[in-house]
Amino acid sequence: MMEATSPSTPRRAWLVRTLQASVAASVAAIFYPVVRFLWPRRGTVSSAAEVVAPFTVAQLKSLQEKGEAPPPFNFDNKPCLVVLMPDGDLRAYNGICTHVACTVTVRPGHGDIFCNCHNGVYDLNGQPVSGPPPRPLEAYKVFRRKTPSGQEEIVVSRST
Amino acid sequence: MSLAALDSPPNRPRWTARLKEFLIDRLGLETFAELAAKKRVPIHRSTVFYFLGGMALFLFGIQVVTGILLSLYYKPSPDQAFESVRAIMTEIEYGWLIRSIHSWSANLLIGVLYLHLLTTFIMRAYRRPREFTWITGLVLLAMFLAFGFSGYLLPWNQLAFFATKVGTDITGGVPLVGESMLLLARSGEEVTGDTLARFYSLHVVILPLAVLAVLGVHLYLVQKHGMSVPDAAARRYGGPEHVPSMPFVPHFLLRDMVGWYVALGLLAALAALFPWELGTKADPFGAAPEGIKPEWYFLFMFATLEQTPSHVFGLENKQAVVLFFSLVGLVVLAVPFLDRRADRGGPRPALSFLATWAVFAFVVQTAVGLGLLHFGLSVSVFVSGALAIAFRLLMLWWCALDRRRMSA
Amino acid sequence: MRTRLRVVLLSGLLGAAAMFAAGWSAAGDAAGAETAAAADESPAPPPPPPPPVPKKTETPGKSPDAPPKAAPAPPPPPPPPPATKPSEKPAPKAPAAPETKAPASPAAKALAKPGERGQPRPNQCLTCHAEHAEPRLRVTESDMAGDVHWQKGLRCVDCHGGDPAWEEARGAHAEEDGFRRLRSDSDLTKPPDPVRVVELCGDCHANIERMRPFNPSPRTDQLREYWTSGHGRRLKESADPAVATCVSCHAKPHGTAADPGKHGVLAVADLNSPVYPKNVAKTCATCHADAKLMAGRQYHGRPIGHQQYDEWSRSVHAETLLKKGDLSAPTCNDCHGNHGALPPDVDSVANACGTCHGKIAGLFATTRMKHAFERVGLPGCATCHGAHDIRHATIDMLGMHDGAVCVGCHDKGRHGATVAGGEAARKFRNDLDGLRRAIEEAEAKIEEAERLGMAIPGPRSDPRADARMYLRKAGDALTAARVEIHGFAAAPVEKVLAAGRETVAEVQESAESAIRQHHARRIWLAASLVPILLVIVVLVLYIRTLPPVPLAAQDRTPGNP
Repeated sequence: MMEATSPSTPRRAWLVRTLQASVAASVAAIFYPVVRFLWPRRGTVSSAAEVVAPFTVAQLKSLQEKGEAPPPFNFDNKPCLVVLMPDGDLRAYNGICTHVACTVTVRPGHGDIFCNCHNGVYDLNGQPVSGPPPRPLEAYKVFRRKTPSGQEEIVVSRST
Repeated sequence: MSLAALDSPPNRPRWTARLKEFLIDRLGLETFAELAAKKRVPIHRSTVFYFLGGMALFLFGIQVVTGILLSLYYKPSPDQAFESVRAIMTEIEYGWLIRSIHSWSANLLIGVLYLHLLTTFIMRAYRRPREFTWITGLVLLAMFLAFGFSGYLLPWNQLAFFATKVGTDITGGVPLVGESMLLLARSGEEVTGDTLARFYSLHVVILPLAVLAVLGVHLYLVQKHGMSVPDAAARRYGGPEHVPSMPFVPHFLLRDMVGWYVALGLLAALAALFPWELGTKADPFGAAPEGIKPEWYFLFMFATLEQTPSHVFGLENKQAVVLFFSLVGLVVLAVPFLDRRADRGGPRPALSFLATWAVFAFVVQTAVGLGLLHFGLSVSVFVSGALAIAFRLLMLWWCALDRRRMSA
Repeated sequence: MRTRLRVVLLSGLLGAAAMFAAGWSAAGDAAGAETAAAADESPAPPPPPPPPVPKKTETPGKSPDAPPKAAPAPPPPPPPPPATKPSEKPAPKAPAAPETKAPASPAAKALAKPGERGQPRPNQCLTCHAEHAEPRLRVTESDMAGDVHWQKGLRCVDCHGGDPAWEEARGAHAEEDGFRRLRSDSDLTKPPDPVRVVELCGDCHANIERMRPFNPSPRTDQLREYWTSGHGRRLKESADPAVATCVSCHAKPHGTAADPGKHGVLAVADLNSPVYPKNVAKTCATCHADAKLMAGRQYHGRPIGHQQYDEWSRSVHAETLLKKGDLSAPTCNDCHGNHGALPPDVDSVANACGTCHGKIAGLFATTRMKHAFERVGLPGCATCHGAHDIRHATIDMLGMHDGAVCVGCHDKGRHGATVAGGEAARKFRNDLDGLRRAIEEAEAKIEEAERLGMAIPGPRSDPRADARMYLRKAGDALTAARVEIHGFAAAPVEKVLAAGRETVAEVQESAESAIRQHHARRIWLAASLVPILLVIVVLVLYIRTLPPVPLAAQDRTPGNP
């Protein structure tokens, strides 16, 4: 048991109180980062094996009808393109041109995927059609998923 | 041991005292309280060494806590491990802090364990009846080294991958069972995702449980036998029981706490100022990075291996080195039984000299491994031997001085 | 009287016996004739096309000369074959001839016999030619195995004509059976007449009717192209046996005059074909890298030289084709033409390059430099990039420093080059270099931030973007700028570069803010160390207030009772 032989002096009492307070403070200084650490964040985008596109199928459709395409989003630290085919199929590609690694753009008006750097052209299946690209674009697995609100979201995942 | 009891007003006990009563009543905590009250720590010149065990325990606690926190985000598969650690370091709040503390504390812990081993040897704390404490302690050291080795692979970066490859290659050098050990360790012929899974299980499940079991025995034995008193102190006071001592609670424990807080501050500083590197993702098909070597606590063995010629006494150098260090390990394990004159308090010149030589060899070889020295094997042996002789002569002289002072 | 009769009878018997024996042994030899190892034949041109024959025969031809000069020799009369030997089963088993109408021709007679499906056609040619004494004329069935004509069922007779059922030369090589002589004389040591060789191939390959059974959409303009080529023109001027003909390039791997190579034509897509994209340059080099052969030869008044293969081998095109295996990279025929092989004229060099490098050629066509080059006779793209030794284009090629391509003209005002142009070159170089360095710096900052364990916030214009990915836009801008400079106009280049610079600036800002945050961690550290240090200090003080531990007698000193 603690030696409680000497009577409590004001100095001792003050020390004890300070000790308690500072121990509490140090414990708080430890707990604060731990709690912040524990709390989950919104999914870490770059390292996820599966990413939801920042646009829905409906949005993609209306953009494509206007002849535009949404900008590429980050998937696996690479720009990812999504294309809605005429028969309703979805396709997702790594948007890095296989020629000199520029970022390609989808041209729904032309029905192709175009690389502005050296006029390389791929078809909507990612196959090179004209210009310098030597290999097809890398394709990802993509599928639709209904959200609770009734929207259809686009999910791109790494094919295993 | 209630701080509150010190300044509680004489009449109504404070709520903390009432809570204490409540718990003790129901949980039978009074046994612990009694044990704690009875425990005393001898005071002598080597008392400071007693702090090492508690420090190791504290750092282990830190490892458990930070390890659990990390396991909430870490994903143990080759294509996700590196990314998950990256996410911990860059995206999760204070992830960098938890991870860096875990890595730094691991190194600190093993350093403390090495010191603890050394000081218990110096104080001859393995003497009867504490042989099993010594043995369980060595088993714990082996398990913590395994902790370090298995944990090192988990970030799955280039350094980790190839260091594991090299390290498991060396275990393959154990004669007879080496091949099987390599296959078991790697979960296959090569280091793959299977190895990662196996190491993860080792690091997170198997070793913690095993350590808890052995640590429990170790601590129980320490409690049972009390703190050992080194011979010099015993002789000085006319017997171990006459050596002055302080109560564990609160004197020693509070001092322990100081040490723990210092360690905490040190870890926080290291984590903030020298964050642990992420490295580059492991590329199993690429070439090993230049100058791959294990962590510092394995360096002395690795440097020895590098210095050894490819064939020694008809054995491959891997096998010879593994054999050598296994023998050394066995000798260390058997020290309580080798030290014949321990009981009678007689000197142990051979063991002491060997130990001194081993310590200097450890330092020299670690320096060689770090690239600070460039010695061949024989030079290392010679230099550490010379240093050991010099040291022992110094000790002789100092002891003589000491004796003269005491008798004066 | 009796003795004379006896002599006559005896000699007659002996003679008959000798001929019988000779015939017997020759037959034995013929049976094992297929294994002739006389492999050094160069490919022969297909024989005169038998009208309906859908099967392309591989003529057991053996052009003994080096393939480039290829001209197969028609089979000379073989060593005395046993005339009396009945036709044995033809050694090569020809697949059945598909039925097609046979336009009347003497050669048609040779094919009329095995008209039924499944019946092998007689092909006695190899009986002699498999073991021919003259290496130029030696052809074995294994030589023909890979030939596309042979595989489609054509046989010797389909190209060379004659009668395949005969085992002896005079019958086999009958003119009335359509046998085509490829030599104007019978000197077998000389290569065959190249014009006749070309015409032999052209008989089928320039005739749509003949090609269509084998390929629904055949090209039949190769012969016309050939006559416009450097090779063809030279051939028209003089029947120079050194000039390349069809077989020089298309026949199986060929050797030199001493080692004529094999007979037979492989498909272009066959890896071993001399005209498989990866092999084309080496094939052309057989002649065009030969100093002796190219000596004295000129084109448009300038010597052709023999350095092109060497130069091309060092080029980025060669590396892409041979090392990276990208078959779309250009080799000789891609710029010079396949059958109409000619160097592009000075004003068509840009078009040749532009077939692949379209965007750049288009930009170049808008510049004043293009017209200046044409006026002076400089070869467009090749002026700066080289004709054959085209290396990887770098930013270092721009500018007015030593080693830049602009210096040659703009430094001394040659060919009307201006000082302002030189200044523009310098500016291009500096600007492009500047962006490149800025990108490198930004990347280094990102790496540093990551090393410190900081997450990098998105750039101002797109906060959710990943910094590295956003930086790619700057890389794209740099690539686009490198293309844009071929318009040699400052404004478009500047526009592209400005966009790139802006991207880089944003990324640098983000990375820097991340690094600053890291420094902010030190503040966190200081903050958290306060309670820790406080605890340590207070603990120490508190420990000092603890009741002292009773000391042993020995340790009591006046100051420590």
